[in-house]
Amino acid sequence: MSHFDIATLRKLEPVVVCIGSHPGIIQSMLDFDFLAGHARPSIAAIIANGRSIERYFYGEREVVIPVYATAQELPESLREQANLILNVASGRRVLANTQAAIEALPNLVGGSIFAEGVPERHAIQLQHIAESRGVWLSGPASVGFIIPGIVKLSAIGGIEARHLQLSRLLAPGSVAVVSSSGGMVNEIIRSVATSGHAVSFAVALGGERFPLLTPEAVLLAAEADPNTKAIAYFGELGGEDEYAVAELVKSGKVTKPVLAYIAGSVSDLFAVPPQFGHAKAMASRKAESAVAKTEALNAAGVHAGKTYGEFIAAIAALPKDDHAASEVDVKTIVRQESGLFVNGISHDKDNDVQILGQELLQFADENSFAKIVISMILGKQTRSQELEEFVDFCLRLLVDHGPYVSGAVNTMITARAGRDLVSALSSGLLTIGPRFGGAINQAAATWFDGVEHTVIPAELVEELAARKQYIAGIGHRKYRADRPDPRVQRLLAFSENLPKRSYTNFALGVEAETTAKKANLILNVDGAIAAVLLDLLHESEGLSKAELAQLVDIEAFNALFVLSRSVGFMAHYFDQRRHDEGLFRLSPKDITPIEISEHN
Amino acid sequence: MNRHMARQKISEFRAKSILGRALAKPYDGVSIDTAAPLDTQLAALADDGRYVVKVDQAVKKRMKQGLVKLDRSKAQLAEDIQELASRGFRYCLIEPLHPHDSAAEHYLAFAHDRDGTSIAFSKQGGIDIEDAAESVQQLVATPENLEHIAHELAVPVDFLTAIRDTFDNSYTSFLEINPLVSNGDNPLLLDVAAEVDGEAAHLAREYWTTADFRTFRNQTPEEKVIAELASTSRASLRYEVINPDGAIFLLLSGGGASIVVADEVNNRGFGTLLGNYGEYSGNPSEAETFGYTEQLLLSLLKSSAKEKVLVIAGGVANFTDVRTTFSGVIRAIDTYADKLASQGVKVFVRRGGPHEVEGLALIQACLEKHGLLGEVHGPELPMADSVSAALAHLGVTA
Repeated sequence: MSHFDIATLRKLEPVVVCIGSHPGIIQSMLDFDFLAGHARPSIAAIIANGRSIERYFYGEREVVIPVYATAQELPESLREQANLILNVASGRRVLANTQAAIEALPNLVGGSIFAEGVPERHAIQLQHIAESRGVWLSGPASVGFIIPGIVKLSAIGGIEARHLQLSRLLAPGSVAVVSSSGGMVNEIIRSVATSGHAVSFAVALGGERFPLLTPEAVLLAAEADPNTKAIAYFGELGGEDEYAVAELVKSGKVTKPVLAYIAGSVSDLFAVPPQFGHAKAMASRKAESAVAKTEALNAAGVHAGKTYGEFIAAIAALPKDDHAASEVDVKTIVRQESGLFVNGISHDKDNDVQILGQELLQFADENSFAKIVISMILGKQTRSQELEEFVDFCLRLLVDHGPYVSGAVNTMITARAGRDLVSALSSGLLTIGPRFGGAINQAAATWFDGVEHTVIPAELVEELAARKQYIAGIGHRKYRADRPDPRVQRLLAFSENLPKRSYTNFALGVEAETTAKKANLILNVDGAIAAVLLDLLHESEGLSKAELAQLVDIEAFNALFVLSRSVGFMAHYFDQRRHDEGLFRLSPKDITPIEISEHN
Repeated sequence: MNRHMARQKISEFRAKSILGRALAKPYDGVSIDTAAPLDTQLAALADDGRYVVKVDQAVKKRMKQGLVKLDRSKAQLAEDIQELASRGFRYCLIEPLHPHDSAAEHYLAFAHDRDGTSIAFSKQGGIDIEDAAESVQQLVATPENLEHIAHELAVPVDFLTAIRDTFDNSYTSFLEINPLVSNGDNPLLLDVAAEVDGEAAHLAREYWTTADFRTFRNQTPEEKVIAELASTSRASLRYEVINPDGAIFLLLSGGGASIVVADEVNNRGFGTLLGNYGEYSGNPSEAETFGYTEQLLLSLLKSSAKEKVLVIAGGVANFTDVRTTFSGVIRAIDTYADKLASQGVKVFVRRGGPHEVEGLALIQACLEKHGLLGEVHGPELPMADSVSAALAHLGVTA
C-alpha cells in the first residue's frame, strides 16, 4: 500500500530537512517558495558536518539556514514540524542517514533521495523501513517531486528561477508527469508548459533497479488526484515495472488517459545489450526491451508512442489548461550582494547601533556590566540573576593574582622596555594558554565530556594517570585538601542550590579521587569556575547540551579570565611606568648553563 | 570501476571461490592470466590429471563458441590457452575434469527482487536450457520453498541454504549455476556466472573486489580513456562505439535524454549510420567534458564515412550547468577544429538548462569561427527534432 497521496501533499505546509548540502538545489527550492509567495522558506534545517549555518537568498533578502550534525540533534520543535526530507548525501550513506531521519522525525510524510549508487540491498531495506513508517520516498537517483505553487522537493523543474517560470511551475495544471529519468522529467515538464498546459504534479522515480516509489504507486495517486486529468509517463528499457502500469490501465484501476514513451529501442543496434545511462537501463531479457514494453502498454489501452515525437504530440493534443495559455512573464529576482560576514551581535538600524537586539544606550542603561559581558559572550541576552552574580564575582576575583605569574611578568618586562600600553597588555595576553589562565576551557571540556558520557570519576582519573596527563582544573601549589582554597569555596557556593548540579558534582567526584592520591590535587579556581558556569548555563539559563558543547568548542570559558586579567595587566603596566626603572635584563646567575654530556 | 554500472559480472573463478567457501569445499580451479608467464601458473597442477579449460571473461554460450575444452592432459593446457589468447581473451580457468551423468544436470539461479531473494530452477539444465525455458520455475527463497527445490533437484537443503546466505551477504545480484549436477551429498557446480552490485564494493570486500570484474568486449582506445575518466569522476560519463565507420556521432547529456535522441535516429530508420551511444550527466567539470569530447572527436575523425555530423543534444537540464559543460566541449572542438573542418564535419546543437543562454551563445560563436556550424537551438526546438537538421544535412531525411 502506497502512502503517496497528492491531496495530503497539497494541504501540507512544507517543512523540509535537507540531509547533506547541495547549494544549487537548496537555493532553487527557496526561489520556488519565494516566487510562489510563501511566507517562509520550506527548508528549515540542513544535516551536515563542519559548520553551523548556511546562507541563502529568500527573494532579495539573505537568510541563514541552521545546520546540525545529525537528525537527532535537531531542536525538538523542528523535529515535530518536519514533514519532508531531501537527501542529497552520497549513495554510501543514504541507508544510514535516511533511516536516522525517519526515526527522528515523527511527522514525516515523504522524501526524495538524490544520490546515485545506493547498493540495491540498501534500497530494498529502505523501502521496508519507509513502508513500515508510512512514509514515501522517491529515488534513489531521483531529482525530486513538485506540486506547482505548493512544494518543490529537490532539483526538479530546474535550479534557475527563470526555468521554474518558463515551465509554469508556480500555478497548478492538469497533467501529471512521471519519469524514471531526472533529465527527462524536466524536459517533459517544459514540453507540457510550451504546449499550453501545466503540470498537476511531477515526480522523478530515479533510474535505479529498485525505485522506492514505483510507477504503480504514482499512477494510483494521479488517478486519485482531482486536479490531474491526464498522465504522461516516461520509462526506459530494463525492469518490468511497465507491466504493472499496463495492468492498472487494463483492470480499470486507472481510468485517466495515460500517455507514455519507453526509451531504448536503439538497444537493438547493439550485438550485446549495453548498459545505458541509468543503472536499470539494460534489457537482459526480451520482456525488458523498450519495444516489448511499448507493445504491452498499447495493448492495455495506454497511448504509448512509437517515437518520442508522437508522445509529445499526444501531450500537446490534451485539453488545454486555461491559465497556461498566456505568455510567461519571467520575473528576475534581484538580489543584494551576499554579505562578507554574518553577524548576530550588533548592526546598524535607522542610524542607531543595535546590540543583541537593543538600542545601545538602552542596552547600557538597563544592564549591569556582568550581564553585558555574559550576554555578549553567549550572543544573546541572558535572564538568570544567579548567572549574572556569578559572572560579576568571577570578573572581580580574577583581576589579579600577584606580579609573579607569567602574564604579569611579561607585561612588566614589556613596560620596562618602553613599549606602549597596548603592546604591554598584548604581551601579557599572549601568555594566556594551556598552562596559564587558559585551563578553564580545558576543565569545562573535561567536565562536560564526563557528564555527557556518564564517566565514573575514578575511571577518568585512572585513564588520565595511565596516559601521564594532568587533569585541567585540578591541583594547586599552595592549597591542599586540609588547607582548602577559600576562593574555591566561594565559587562553589554559586551552584549549591541548583537541583542537579551535575558538572560541579562530577568535578567534586574527580577531586575526591585525586586528593586521595595526593593532598594538593584539589579542585582549583579554574576547575571550579568551569564546573559552576556549566551548571548555571545549563540549569539557570536553559542552554542545551549542544549549545554547551559549542561554547567549549569556541573557547568561551576562557573569556572571563581574559577580560578580568586584562585589568590586572594594565595595572602592572601603569605601575611599572610610574616607577620607570629602565630596561630589564637578567644577569648570568639567573641562567644555568647546561654542559653537553660526554658519556653516551 | 565505473560507478554507474551498478551490476558487474565477476569472474567464474571468483564466483566459485566464494561458493567453495560457503559450502566448506575449497574451490580447486586455477585462474590463468594469459598476459603473464604460463609455466608458473600451471606448475601446481598434477601431471597425470585430466582437465577442463575455459574462457573466464563473462562470455555467454561458451560451449557453442568453442571456448570450453574438455578432458585435456596437462601437456595440452599451454597450447589450449595460447589458442584462446589468440582469439582475444585474456582470462581463462582450468579445473579438474568431473565426469558425470548428463541426466543429472539441472539449472539453478538466484536473483534479488523487491520481495527478497528468488530462485529459478529446472530439473533440466546444461547448454540447451534456453530450449527448455518453460521447464524453469521461479519461487521466493523461503525455507519451505528451499525444501521443495532441494527435493526436486536431489540436492541437500543445507547446500541451497548455504548458497542463498552467501548470495545475500556478498551483495551478489544474480547467480546462475548451470549445469548443477546432483551428486548425493556432494553436488557439482560445473559452470557458474555471477553479477554483483558494483555500488556495494566497499561492503563486500571479504568476497570480491573490483579486480574481479570481467567484460568480454574489446574496448576501443577511446572507450578505454573515457572509462578511466569515469572511474575517477563524480559525474556519469558513458561511451560506446556502435559502428566505427558511422556517420552520426552523438555527444549527449542525460541518462534518459541520451536514449531518446539515439532512439530518434534509429526510429527514423538510420540506426546503421549511428557511430556511438554515450552520455554525460551529473554536472561534470569543464576538464571532464573536455576529456570526454576529445575522445568522441577522435572516434569521429577515425570513421571512414564520407559525410559526418556531430549532434550535441540533451534535454532541459535540472542542475547540470550548460555554460560550464559547454566550455569543455568548446575547448575540445577548438583543439580539433582544423581536422574537423577538413573532413567537412558539421555540428548540430540542441540543449537547455542552467546558463543555457550563455552556453549556447558560446558554442554558436565557436562553430561559426571554425566553419563547423550546422544549427544551434535551445529548448524551443522539440527534442525529437534535434536530429532532423543533421539527418537532412547527410541527405538521408526519410
